[in-house]
Amino acid sequence: INSDQLAQRSLQAEERIYALILDLMNPNLREQALLELSKKREMYDDLAIILWHSYGVVSILLQEIISVYPLLSPPALTAVASNRVCNALALLQCIASHSATRPLLLNAHIPLFLYPFLNTTSKTRAFEYLRLTSLGVIGAFVKNDNSEVINFLLSTEIIPLCLRTMENGSELSRTVAIFIVQKILMDDAGLVYICQTYERFYAVTTVLNDMVSQLAETQSIRLLKHVIRCYLRLSENPRAREALRQCLPDELRDATFAGILRDDITSQRYLNQLLINLLGN
Amino acid sequence: DALGRGSAAGGLNQGINADSGLNGNPDDLSIVLPNLAPYLTFNPQVILYTTQPASKRWVLQAVTAAVREIIGPVVDRSVQIALISTRELITKDFAMEADENKMRKAAHLMVQNLASNLAMVTCKEPLRISMTASLRNIFVANGFTDAISEQAILLTVADNLDLVCTVIEKAAMEKAVSEIDEALLAAYATRVKHREQRINQPYFDVNVLSVSQYPLTLPEPLRLKPNGLQQPQMRVYEDFGHINRAINNQIASAESDRQVRNMRPEANPGYGYGHNVTGTTTTQGSGFDTAQVSAHQILEKFAQ
Repeated sequence: INSDQLAQRSLQAEERIYALILDLMNPNLREQALLELSKKREMYDDLAIILWHSYGVVSILLQEIISVYPLLSPPALTAVASNRVCNALALLQCIASHSATRPLLLNAHIPLFLYPFLNTTSKTRAFEYLRLTSLGVIGAFVKNDNSEVINFLLSTEIIPLCLRTMENGSELSRTVAIFIVQKILMDDAGLVYICQTYERFYAVTTVLNDMVSQLAETQSIRLLKHVIRCYLRLSENPRAREALRQCLPDELRDATFAGILRDDITSQRYLNQLLINLLGN
Repeated sequence: DALGRGSAAGGLNQGINADSGLNGNPDDLSIVLPNLAPYLTFNPQVILYTTQPASKRWVLQAVTAAVREIIGPVVDRSVQIALISTRELITKDFAMEADENKMRKAAHLMVQNLASNLAMVTCKEPLRISMTASLRNIFVANGFTDAISEQAILLTVADNLDLVCTVIEKAAMEKAVSEIDEALLAAYATRVKHREQRINQPYFDVNVLSVSQYPLTLPEPLRLKPNGLQQPQMRVYEDFGHINRAINNQIASAESDRQVRNMRPEANPGYGYGHNVTGTTTTQGSGFDTAQVSAHQILEKFAQ
């Protein structure tokens, strides 16, 4: 294959994407176009920019989202409906992942349309997958440590929604939810916000403590590393540090996790740092 | 407080109690609560409604109190979110559309539909809880505390939740429309002005197209055209109207029921029996094999 042929192929791939975006306008072709575009979203760097700026695309994605609201309560979401809206969410995640379009999506308050999905409790796979995908979109917003994103999220109910998922979700959902909380904590404004009142601090640490006692059973290093990072960050706030001296779970002080931490030197180091922070006066 | 006390995620009523910058003033009196009587259904299985006609008045009173408790914050929050999303997306998509009437029509359909759906999904569970508590209070106050009145409460909530919900949805739709017109006032005006000046050049929104170079560098098939939007493009926004129509039909049929009852009051000494709302039916399907793969892919993005 020579370079001309490669160029030719990439041109054809791009034209296929444009055709799929135009297909979104047609309700009869939309479901298939959502599926194909969501599969291709990693293959084309400018897809986020094209999706945002193309006429009607984000409005269509919003239509897809709100059209499943009636299926949330009483729970009536089917696998087919869940897959379809999750493909739409995958495209939103693509737009949220790009630094040029993330602020635009935020400015239009699009993340708030996902919150009703996070508020569901049904345990079926259709709902579990919808919650996981929605958390993935929020995760894409917070991934790049942007204080504007964090400030926006702090003005919404995202923390209680994540805490609920950390309490009740599947392991995958829990991991994304605690990732979001960790990212909020890593932000200075986020740490201040969570440590501002005892109730907030208590809400977060209650869920973290519960996770620790469950992790003592499941020994999942994937979740434990986030839990340790959250406690460590909390311990950097003077009032939270004081409170943690009283309420840090014993499992983090004894050898409960020694086995799984042996293979994760970084997390072991963070845990040591946490314990050192709590030692001082 | 956003995080609530006690149970970690407790006190989380889908944002209603949240310490959110998006919440409006709960004492907002701008929403006029309609008379709920024509929307109420009284289940024939509840003997109480036959033996104690006054009980229907208690139900009206209790349901009205429940709606009053919830409608303000739900409508304010839903409208505010819908308003911002609509304003941003319409301004972008109509940047080369000279006809302010097309723009207004699309904005109305979108904002109504976003606001009413957000209101519905936000209010349903709080409304169920609030209606149940409110009905129980009023039954107890009138001396009914047995299992039969508990069953009456359950049935009455189940029969009326969706219709009472549509009252809140409709309030959100109405507020959303008047607020989007206010938000787009300047956008409408520049289009009128452009036409009056007869510059003989296609309209374009300087505020949108001077901020970002992207819209004009899009691939040709996706670029906005200088002569405004074409019919298939307008259809995207017209599609927002379809769910609205379902709500309006429900309201309209409840209102025509009332007219029928008003014409023949002797036929219905109480509030009469409304009609049951048919639940959403969906077809069962499968296809999670591909879904699971991408769920793992999502997670991989977060593995550090």
